[in-house]
Amino acid sequence: MIRVNNLTKVYRSGTQALDQLSIQIDESEIFALLGPNGAGKSSAIKILTTLSGFDEGEVTVAGFNVDTHPDKVRQSIGYVAQETGVDYFLTGRENLVLQGHLYRMTKKDITTRIDELSEYFSLNEALDNLVSSYSGGMRRKLDIATALIHRPKILFLDEPTLGLDTQSRKSLWEYIEKLNTELGLTILLTTHYLEEADKLSHRVAIINNGKIKIAGNPEELKNQICGDVVSLQFDAPENKQDLSNQLKKLPFVKDVKWEMDKLHLYVSNGATSIPPLIDHCHSVNEKVQNVAFSHPTLDDVFIQQTGSSIDSTQEDQGPQWWEKWAGKGNNSKWAKKWPSENEVDSSSETKLTEKDNKNSNEQWPKEDTTEWNNENQWPKDNNTENHAESDNNWPENKEWQKDGQQSWDEKSQWPNNKN
Amino acid sequence: MIADTWYLFNKYMKISMRMPLWSLFSLIQPLLWLIIFGSLFKYFANLPNFPTNTYIDYFVPGVLIMTVLFGSSWAGVSLLREISAGTVDKMLVSPASRTSIVLSRVIHSAAQVVIQALIVLVAAWIMGASTNYNPIYLFLAMLVILFLGIAFASLSNGLAMMLQREEPLVILGNLMTLPLMFFSSAMVPQQFMPGWIHTLSLINPIEYAVDAVRAALSPTPNLGDFYIGFFVTFGFALATLYWSISAFRAIRD
Repeated sequence: MIRVNNLTKVYRSGTQALDQLSIQIDESEIFALLGPNGAGKSSAIKILTTLSGFDEGEVTVAGFNVDTHPDKVRQSIGYVAQETGVDYFLTGRENLVLQGHLYRMTKKDITTRIDELSEYFSLNEALDNLVSSYSGGMRRKLDIATALIHRPKILFLDEPTLGLDTQSRKSLWEYIEKLNTELGLTILLTTHYLEEADKLSHRVAIINNGKIKIAGNPEELKNQICGDVVSLQFDAPENKQDLSNQLKKLPFVKDVKWEMDKLHLYVSNGATSIPPLIDHCHSVNEKVQNVAFSHPTLDDVFIQQTGSSIDSTQEDQGPQWWEKWAGKGNNSKWAKKWPSENEVDSSSETKLTEKDNKNSNEQWPKEDTTEWNNENQWPKDNNTENHAESDNNWPENKEWQKDGQQSWDEKSQWPNNKN
Repeated sequence: MIADTWYLFNKYMKISMRMPLWSLFSLIQPLLWLIIFGSLFKYFANLPNFPTNTYIDYFVPGVLIMTVLFGSSWAGVSLLREISAGTVDKMLVSPASRTSIVLSRVIHSAAQVVIQALIVLVAAWIMGASTNYNPIYLFLAMLVILFLGIAFASLSNGLAMMLQREEPLVILGNLMTLPLMFFSSAMVPQQFMPGWIHTLSLINPIEYAVDAVRAALSPTPNLGDFYIGFFVTFGFALATLYWSISAFRAIRD
């Protein structure tokens, strides 16, 4: 449905938005472009929707070249921009009618289509109210409805849930999935919410500095990372070093790290490796109090893919992307994790913050955490959608800081540390 | 293209109908000028060789042109608002003609200005101005006002695309309107102007529009003068419209 070959775009200001970008999206697929702000997601989507030109490459959307047949492309796509594209001073119906006219539909066709769409998005009662009275979620739904009025084959969604509350976001996700499964729409969405890409997309491409770093099925990408993390809590182990050395010799264990009396094991498959691990501990008379394992999240993939390039380019790029990201209010991913100033040496603040972010992400896998014991020491997280609310890592971190591991540098020695 | 322009024009008309007060706001200034200047320069008409009996008779065409300038010189601000709200992208992603997006906006502000000019004319009538209210000449005068409105709305839209920011656009709008007003015979007859202002007024499109409106609304209409002014205004409107449409295309594509 969409084919992009070596797409390069340089803005007049000289910033390179896209660099030899290539993607291929099949029919009836939900494809997510995941990346930090300024990575080139919006630039890419604007080129695909004929809103902006490009310097090199070849772009085909729905079988038409965007350069030579922009009108044919426009007829076959719907686009929902990052900003709400519906007019606040018109009613929902007027917005839909206008959009229908602009797509050269007949009056009769517009009326039947509006009935269908308002039914589908349950806009019925609100349809004749001014859009300025709509809630954010309603406006988004109307926005998507206007983009679908001419029955497009492909739907482009640029940050569809940006600025929405958790509930509206979830309901929007359901609609997006439904559009794909029921109507067979091909959907290309951009997002910087990891769990959005994870939940919705059949395939995800991680984009940074205008390049695709990696693309594939979210599950596969996560499996590539390091398998799972199994954590065993012991009751006063006698010889930690021996135990971890023995366990490390097991074929499926990639790495081990002690944290107090808790042992983190990086294994290829968490579920199947737990029984042999426990068996081994019993055989050496170590009592396992509590077991937990977690899957890596797209977060980990993201860090692995973008981490290196960000390290090498951060000096001359002004505010770093996570700072901008964190600046985005309550939805900010890192909002609660930033160390306060008195905890960090101010001269190296950003570096340490970065390390800390990476560490805490790997240290405390947040989602899909499975628990077998009430006495869990693992941060409690019930898969809340909003990261800012769910990231309860700080209190935890502080606790074990008190227990003797004071400095940030020591923290950066934690398992699987890439610094 | 015509259909697209019509639908978009309808949209803008609907929006301004929903906020009639806002549209009337820009009327306040011309009305104030009509009242203040009308009384301030009242005895001006006693000067020898003054073309009309009372000053207000002379001033009405000038105030109509002023209405145009104040009404349409900020038309670009709402284009910037629409761009940041994302509604322009919504139009651009549809097969709608690019030309009609600018055209509908410009015609909308010009139509708004014509309505305002008619209201000003009613106020002038109440104040006792003896203008020519013959519908044919009124129509001709309104045609000039429509095209001058198109011209200034185009200028403002084109500048909006070039500047991309509201503040400089408003400053430029101000900077544009006042000198253009004073370097024309809107308020002062040509024979009372200093030589250099008279020379400047010859390259001022406003001067020609004022002349045309004055020729049409005078108790003794002068069609020869009207045609000169009308065609200059018409040409000015076409040129600015063309410029703003190409500015719009250049930015988006």
